Amino acid sequence: MGERTRQALPSVLSVLLSLVVCWLLIALSKDADGFTTATAAYLQMLWGGVGDWPRYLEGAAATVLTRPLGEAAMKAALLTFTGLSVAVAFKVGLFNIGAQGQMILGALAAAVVGAHVALPAPLHIPAALLGAALAGGAWAGIAAALRLYRGVHEVISTIMLNWVALRLVDNWLVVGPLRGVAEAGASITGTAEIHPTAQLPRLLGDVSRLNLGFVLAVVAAVTVWAWLTRTRSGFETRAVGLGDEAARAAGIPVARRAGLAMALAGALAGLAGAVLVLGTEGRYPGTLGAPYGFDGIAIALIGNNHPLGVGAAALFFGVLRAGGTRMQLLDVHKSFPELIQGLALLFVAGRLIWLAVLRKRSAPAPMPAAPPAPAAQVPHA
Amino acid sequence: MLEIIHRLLFATLDAAPALVFAALGAVLSERAGVVAVGMEGMMRTGAFCAAVAALVMPTPLAVGMGMLAGAALAAVHGFLCIRWRSDQVVSGIALNLVALAGGTFLLETHFGPNGTPPIQQLSTWELPGLSSIPVLGALSGHAAPTYLALGLPLLLQAMLTRTPLGLRLRAVGDKPHAVATLGLSVPALRWGAVLGSGLLAGLGGAVLSTTVLDRFEQHTPAGLGFMALAAMVFGRWTPMGAFLAAAFFAFGNALRIGLASSSPALLELVPQGVLLALPYVLTLLVLTLQGQRNSTPAALGVPYEQESR
Repeated sequence: MGERTRQALPSVLSVLLSLVVCWLLIALSKDADGFTTATAAYLQMLWGGVGDWPRYLEGAAATVLTRPLGEAAMKAALLTFTGLSVAVAFKVGLFNIGAQGQMILGALAAAVVGAHVALPAPLHIPAALLGAALAGGAWAGIAAALRLYRGVHEVISTIMLNWVALRLVDNWLVVGPLRGVAEAGASITGTAEIHPTAQLPRLLGDVSRLNLGFVLAVVAAVTVWAWLTRTRSGFETRAVGLGDEAARAAGIPVARRAGLAMALAGALAGLAGAVLVLGTEGRYPGTLGAPYGFDGIAIALIGNNHPLGVGAAALFFGVLRAGGTRMQLLDVHKSFPELIQGLALLFVAGRLIWLAVLRKRSAPAPMPAAPPAPAAQVPHA
Repeated sequence: MLEIIHRLLFATLDAAPALVFAALGAVLSERAGVVAVGMEGMMRTGAFCAAVAALVMPTPLAVGMGMLAGAALAAVHGFLCIRWRSDQVVSGIALNLVALAGGTFLLETHFGPNGTPPIQQLSTWELPGLSSIPVLGALSGHAAPTYLALGLPLLLQAMLTRTPLGLRLRAVGDKPHAVATLGLSVPALRWGAVLGSGLLAGLGGAVLSTTVLDRFEQHTPAGLGFMALAAMVFGRWTPMGAFLAAAFFAFGNALRIGLASSSPALLELVPQGVLLALPYVLTLLVLTLQGQRNSTPAALGVPYEQESR
């Protein structure tokens, strides 16, 4: 088994195992024909994520393909950005629980630039994206500064910053000073509508919500990957994450690398907010809805903190998320994609168990006399 | 004026126990070196199981079921982190996600989106002779968890600082190898602390659904588990410190609600959202001022390996 396979295999197996466990849960929660229902529900989830091919082949319009694909791509783009955010911080040894708060700030900045600044289209979108990246980066920068100068653990500070962002934006700014007013003078939920010049163009026209955000997410994943593996500062960042004392001894500016990585993490999460606002919502809504920032933690870890792994995990869970609502057709609850994601993360947390099991499998039976030991009796390594 | 203080104190004593128990649980776990990010999930599980159990059994017993449910989730954490040396933050976050999605699924498939049916709340205790005294009378008329939340921090503080077991628990969080050298089992001590933290988090959750509310709702406990972590850090990883911090948060909350309802003019001056953000901003400020390095358990989050020195 190659090193790359060995690194990726626990994640793949964890996702598969969580799919099986949830399939069993659905089956057991149904009184009659549970297994048939569970299988049918999974198929619905699949068709809802990658396009309803059975209906298309029966002659339905192409929108049964484009609509689900657009939803999946949109969700995958958001998960890629927040997943990358958490992964980049991880690379430097910091745990960014704050992607949600950074995303809120980014979304708000994008909504403000999109609605209150008048620019021609080629400039407006970059300006809104830049605003979101700066806002998210600054929010993460607070946590980075607290960590570097005051020793405040980033897990605690980013949790607190999430709450501050949520309360200040959702409970004050969006319902107060920044509240949008519709044409007739009636207030609407959320901020004012962004100008058409700030809207991310849709790639397939009006038949699907698929927009430029998906392309941006792919570019971001490849860029982060190239930065980490092909540039000096990326290499130094990874060196700091592997051990800051050794990195310091090698002359790497540890504090600067950590600060930069955390700011980049915040910028990526901020971009997630921008893609949501500029691509699909058109304004900062009353509340961001799904906690994409927290999902980013799961995506980063299931993707093994590798930028391309993050992209793959985001794509997979984007499909499940988009298709999840279709399970309701069979009276299966729509929270299963989230449960699958949570369980997958739980199984990924047991990475060492997977590695121990795999090692035993690949070892050519070194103990001829010993009976196969159950997992619980494996001695402490 | 006295009346207002009385009401604020009463509201604080009603709302604080859930946060106090969770914060104490977090202290117990982290002093033994195991990160307690999963508090929110354990509270949620405890709150849900207590509410469901209270539908079929007396409420005090149901609270016990909630505690066991919290401990069950903690056992998963222990299995992954102590037995298999998994990353403790990852495991905790995963438990939070599973508890959130799983709880939503079970709630909505069995009871619908509006929460469980109402249950019998824990009965309140009138303390004779006390209820007529101004301000102090606010101590009377609470359910048992309130009185437990006033006593337990002292007990836990004494246990951690004055008993051999407490010394060992703290040592396991600072220098586990030294503990192992004395012939004590690091995993056993950590298992005890983690299961204890699960019981306490479950109790905190159960208190929410059996005294603060009379049911489990989709948004229980709404971030209280994370607040408990903040209280723990704020209180520098000591039971009494965590208790005071938790009580302070609860008081701030009671004050905010009280102010918002009694003087709408204040909301013109300071918006609700700013008031809501205040406890978190304050926590950040305190952490900034006190710094953190000197009070964090030295081996926190470091999986224990026998042969690594």
